[in-house]
Amino acid sequence: MSVSLKANDNKPEPIAYSEAALRNNAIVVEYCRTSMSALSGSTAGVLGLTSLNGFAFYMFAVIILWVMFMIKAGPNWPKYYVSRQSILTNGFFGGLFTYVLFWTFIYGMVHVY
Amino acid sequence: MVELLLDPKIRLWVFLPIVVITFLVGIVRHYVSIILSSQKKIELIQVQDSQVMIRARLLRENGKYLPRQSFAMRRHWFNNEETGYFKVQKRPSNAQNPMTDPGMMTDMLKGNVTNVLPMIVIGGWINWMFSGFLTTKVPFPLTLRFKPMLQRGVELAYLDASWVSSASWYFLNVFGLRTIYALVLGENNAADQSKVMQEQMSGAAMAMPPDPKAAFKAEWEALEITEHRWALVTAEADLLLQNNVS
Amino acid sequence: MSDSINYEDLGINEAFDLIRKWRENNERKFSEWVLVWEKIYKNLDSRPNEKYIVAEQLLVAMLDQHSYNLALMWLELLLEQFPGSLRVMRYKALCLEAQGQYDAAQYVLDEIIKVDETNAPARKRRVASLKAQGLLSDAIKELVDYLKRFTADMEAWQQLGELYLEAADYSRALFCTEELLLHQPHNHLLHQRLADIRYTMGGVENMELAKAHYCRTLKLNPNNLRALLGLNLVTNNLLGHYKSSGGAKRKEVWKLSRWVHSELGRRQADAHSLTDLMLAISIAD
Repeated sequence: MSVSLKANDNKPEPIAYSEAALRNNAIVVEYCRTSMSALSGSTAGVLGLTSLNGFAFYMFAVIILWVMFMIKAGPNWPKYYVSRQSILTNGFFGGLFTYVLFWTFIYGMVHVY
Repeated sequence: MVELLLDPKIRLWVFLPIVVITFLVGIVRHYVSIILSSQKKIELIQVQDSQVMIRARLLRENGKYLPRQSFAMRRHWFNNEETGYFKVQKRPSNAQNPMTDPGMMTDMLKGNVTNVLPMIVIGGWINWMFSGFLTTKVPFPLTLRFKPMLQRGVELAYLDASWVSSASWYFLNVFGLRTIYALVLGENNAADQSKVMQEQMSGAAMAMPPDPKAAFKAEWEALEITEHRWALVTAEADLLLQNNVS
Repeated sequence: MSDSINYEDLGINEAFDLIRKWRENNERKFSEWVLVWEKIYKNLDSRPNEKYIVAEQLLVAMLDQHSYNLALMWLELLLEQFPGSLRVMRYKALCLEAQGQYDAAQYVLDEIIKVDETNAPARKRRVASLKAQGLLSDAIKELVDYLKRFTADMEAWQQLGELYLEAADYSRALFCTEELLLHQPHNHLLHQRLADIRYTMGGVENMELAKAHYCRTLKLNPNNLRALLGLNLVTNNLLGHYKSSGGAKRKEVWKLSRWVHSELGRRQADAHSLTDLMLAISIAD
């Protein structure tokens, strides 16, 4: 039971995360992402973007959203997220689906007829 | 590529109604499932089992914060050969047929009523009501592979694959609107969740695996091989290090 | 919630928002309720969505004010709307209990449990009512019985630990608190409490463990003055124990003790007044 200094081999301190807070953050991010997909999809539809331009616009929107997250989180982002990359990549394809739907919908409304 | 010209009335009477109908049906389905969902009656023994499982899992995960003796004492209580909880408690292995359990049957039926039935009914109705229209065009080129998927009900061999028929538009909506439901109904769902949390117990029992005997065995094994490494061994050194005392 | 809220000028919507906040944070405002409740109950009918959940809140608030008749009025309202609801039955038991009719309350609770064996709140209510009557050993017995069924209920373990502490049964209280630690291994107050109990129990081994827990407490929250003082006591005690044996162990404790002393001195210099210090110590309660 004795405490020995030898046991301390200077490895980085494990960080404790709050499970509930993490989940809440993930929900908020997901919420933003869905809104962003829908909005950018509608924008692309109104602008009448077709084929690759549209997908490029989606990438652009995702990156803009990510940058906005980072600005919002500020320099101490590790307080809110485990990793920055995951915010960029998580739910990419789920968002794409929503985006395509809105894109098609608005494009159809405005440009097809 | 030859541009097709669609009648704007199709937009008003086919294209839009399909979107609105799918969306509203999804919302109605959400509320119907809330009405139909019955408060599951939970057996006391089930609650007990699930809670014991939670406790055993916590012991495995966080046991390292307890002194060795305290950890061993708890593990003994779970795993001891003669009197250990996982050894003594005998649960009937209930890999029973769901058909014999009337409660389960109704649950399955309710699931079908709220999920499958509307799909078939509304899908069939839309197919019948709006059959044979080309409704829209996806704004990107697609290969011929997609033709049967996107042009249900319109069998034109030379039509560009980007055109979408009414039936396919319905299916696109059904799958694409899922995330939107999460957006629209999300707060509601979250509220339900938090209510469950407040009522505490009953929620945990849901996650109980159907066969407690197997679950007990697995947990027993996991506990048995858990190695206890006291996390507070370095507490003193950590504290001094943190405060730069060497 | 700060005291800066002006309850007089509160609009109806603001009042409802306020009590929703209390409800969600599980806050029990004894005195503030009196200031808002008039606004609330007069406008209750305009909020059909919230009506009954607010009524529940009002009921408990009335009980806090010892306004039993008013509480019973709300109970009537709830009973009328949800006859046979176990949740409302529980409020009935609560009303009876508040008026000191413990036997009747117990009877109602037993009825609830008979209908729904898994009704944890009702079982816990029984324990609370026993505790209110001062029947410590009965409450402990009942709670142990409850925990045999609901082994993962943190609140119950906490309560049992407190009851055992009251009964001065330290080793059992220790067990309960350790159970809490399994749920929240990073809660500094739990580490501190464990260390307190270990120190109270005495003995070299317990002192060592208490030292480790106090150290962890201070690491998780460097401002925990109570833990610092506790650590001071523990190290003094250990130094006494190791006086004869000496050696490396004593050296380490000596180092820790020296650090604690310097830290305590620094805190004392920083603190502006005695009251500040006292407030910092009372962090546990």
